[in-house]
Amino acid sequence: MTRRQTITLIAGREVRQRLRSKLFVWSTILLSVAFAVLALVPTLLDAFSSPDDEVTAGDVTTLAVVGELDPVRRDALTAVLGPIEVQPVADEAAARDLLADEDADVSLGIVLGERVLAPAPTGIFGGAGELRASEAAEALALVDVLEAGGSAGVVDEVLGLQPLEVELIGADDPADAVARIVVANIGVVFLFGLLMFYASMIVNGIIEEKGSRVVELLVEAVPVRQLMAGKVLGLGTIAVGQTLALFLPAAAVLVIANREVIPPGLGGLLGATLLWFVLGYAFYTLLCAGLGALVSRPEEAQAVLTPATMLALIGYFIGFAAIQAPDATWAVIAGWAPPTAPFVMLVRQAVGSPTAIELIGSILLLVLAIGGTGLAAARVYEGGILRVGARVRLRDAWRSQRI
Amino acid sequence: MLEFQDLRRSFGDVVALDGLTFSVAPGELCGFLGPNGAGKTTAMRCAVGVTTPDGGQVRWRGGPIDIEVRRRTGYMPEERGLYPKMRVHEQLVYLARLHGMAAADADASATTWIERLGLTDRTGSPVEELSLGNQQRVQLAAALVHDPELLVLDEPFSGLDPIATDVMSDVLLERARAGVAVVFSSHQLDLVEGLCQKVAVVAAGRLVLHGEVAALQAVGGRRLRIQVDGGTDWTARLPPGAELLALADDHVTVLLQPGEDAGPVLDVARTQGRLLDVHLEQPRLSELFRAAVGNGHLDTQASS
Repeated sequence: MTRRQTITLIAGREVRQRLRSKLFVWSTILLSVAFAVLALVPTLLDAFSSPDDEVTAGDVTTLAVVGELDPVRRDALTAVLGPIEVQPVADEAAARDLLADEDADVSLGIVLGERVLAPAPTGIFGGAGELRASEAAEALALVDVLEAGGSAGVVDEVLGLQPLEVELIGADDPADAVARIVVANIGVVFLFGLLMFYASMIVNGIIEEKGSRVVELLVEAVPVRQLMAGKVLGLGTIAVGQTLALFLPAAAVLVIANREVIPPGLGGLLGATLLWFVLGYAFYTLLCAGLGALVSRPEEAQAVLTPATMLALIGYFIGFAAIQAPDATWAVIAGWAPPTAPFVMLVRQAVGSPTAIELIGSILLLVLAIGGTGLAAARVYEGGILRVGARVRLRDAWRSQRI
Repeated sequence: MLEFQDLRRSFGDVVALDGLTFSVAPGELCGFLGPNGAGKTTAMRCAVGVTTPDGGQVRWRGGPIDIEVRRRTGYMPEERGLYPKMRVHEQLVYLARLHGMAAADADASATTWIERLGLTDRTGSPVEELSLGNQQRVQLAAALVHDPELLVLDEPFSGLDPIATDVMSDVLLERARAGVAVVFSSHQLDLVEGLCQKVAVVAAGRLVLHGEVAALQAVGGRRLRIQVDGGTDWTARLPPGAELLALADDHVTVLLQPGEDAGPVLDVARTQGRLLDVHLEQPRLSELFRAAVGNGHLDTQASS
């Protein structure tokens, strides 16, 4: 029997045993359904939201204007925005205040000769404001050019340019900023939760084998390293499968129910998030497999896992903090460190802007760390797996590979 | 041939194996005997690769015990071990496949052994729901299910009722007849005496007695118990080759050296008076064991 067959066989048992657990299967199904229902919420909110939010022909668009709006420019704006109502304001600050005030019902701010202001999108499905601001800005610029005696050729040229700066108030990000923040939050929380879940699962699996002494039968037939590899691979398969089962239905609901408003690039972002999940699982389950081989009783499991739990907890907190400042120096550094990388890089990819070097470097470093952790864990596992009874000291397990 | 060659193993200050050497041939059923703490379990764990000796080695068919050999070995550990929540048939199939058996063969073999060991109605039960005796049967099936050519069983008879003991004995004999080398440890000396052609007795990590049971008994000399009407004066005139072991009233026990005939002793006894009772006995294995190990070991050795 080849190594691959042995590892597959062991991994297969892990998967089957897990799928046989009714608690595991049903909790996954229930959570999955719950997420899918949550994914429907934006659609439902849309359905119940007041028609004011919708831009329809015939509606009057209210503009806060700084400066004197002459008839020509008023016509130009009416041409692109439909009927408008002008609310003169003293200065740009006043215009911004009006835009920020939801009761004021002001759609755009115009500082004549300078810029057009639009509110940042407030939901996953924002973006209309930005478009209308651009159109208004172009129309105004066109008038400027025509007044300066421009020809048709010049007009074409102007249309190809960004005539006035368009600024979205309250965010630097494109329209999917909210979606990205949601992904970052959910990603960090679930990465931590699932990592802890699978860490305890692998340790309990090891304790079951040591406690029941079946491990002697296994070690007789299978090289110890293959035993560990099969276990980690089996649980890893279950972990990725469960992650997909939890979130794929929700993603499908989002796509089907809100197809036209899914922010561009969300699919890629979710793919990247899954990558960080997989790398995180690999790192932490290997670490826990090594640590778990040191103990034989369930009550010792939590204590022996403390180092791994602490690392994951640190990653979790830094990851959370990084949602607010994804490109801060400390976040960049934590993105390079393998134990915290899955959390922090997931966040940075979602809401920050990591460079290609940071991204690829972090992945490479994490893969190297996974390899190193795997080798170290295998050595500790070999030293600890057959020592049933009192907790084995890490140093002893490291030194004596076999009892 | 399964060869234990000069095995040495210490746990801290405790010497478990101190140059143990003996061998078991294919088709042989070898009882591995010794007091608690003599090193039996350690030696068997070395044979299946669960423990690495400090010195010496175990060889099978002239080569070292590698993973390929271990896959063709059936092992019953001292501390029984199976997945508690896994079902009997599924568990046996899994263990057979881990030992390299193809899926279909593993399935058929698991079914066969489940029937053979009387577990048919428990085939779908998780092991933890079985009685201890039935768990032990599953443990034996786990050692046999992949059709091994070498069987290493640590106290397979402990905790078995008489019926299960018979089943176990039959299976071991049948496997040995099929050409499997079987070595098993036990403290039930009478059972071993009836079952095994060969025994190896170990004490303090060394081999103290090894060979065919019959040959060992012959080497040990036979005992002649005689009761003569008229006293024991005749014992002063014992012929050469006969040694007085015990006297009680008119009961006399004489040890005959190997190869000596009982006739001359009886002739001398008959000069004293009428023979009331005569027994000629092979030495019991338990006697050979006690002689080889020394009674002290039985009392003073700590448990393993």
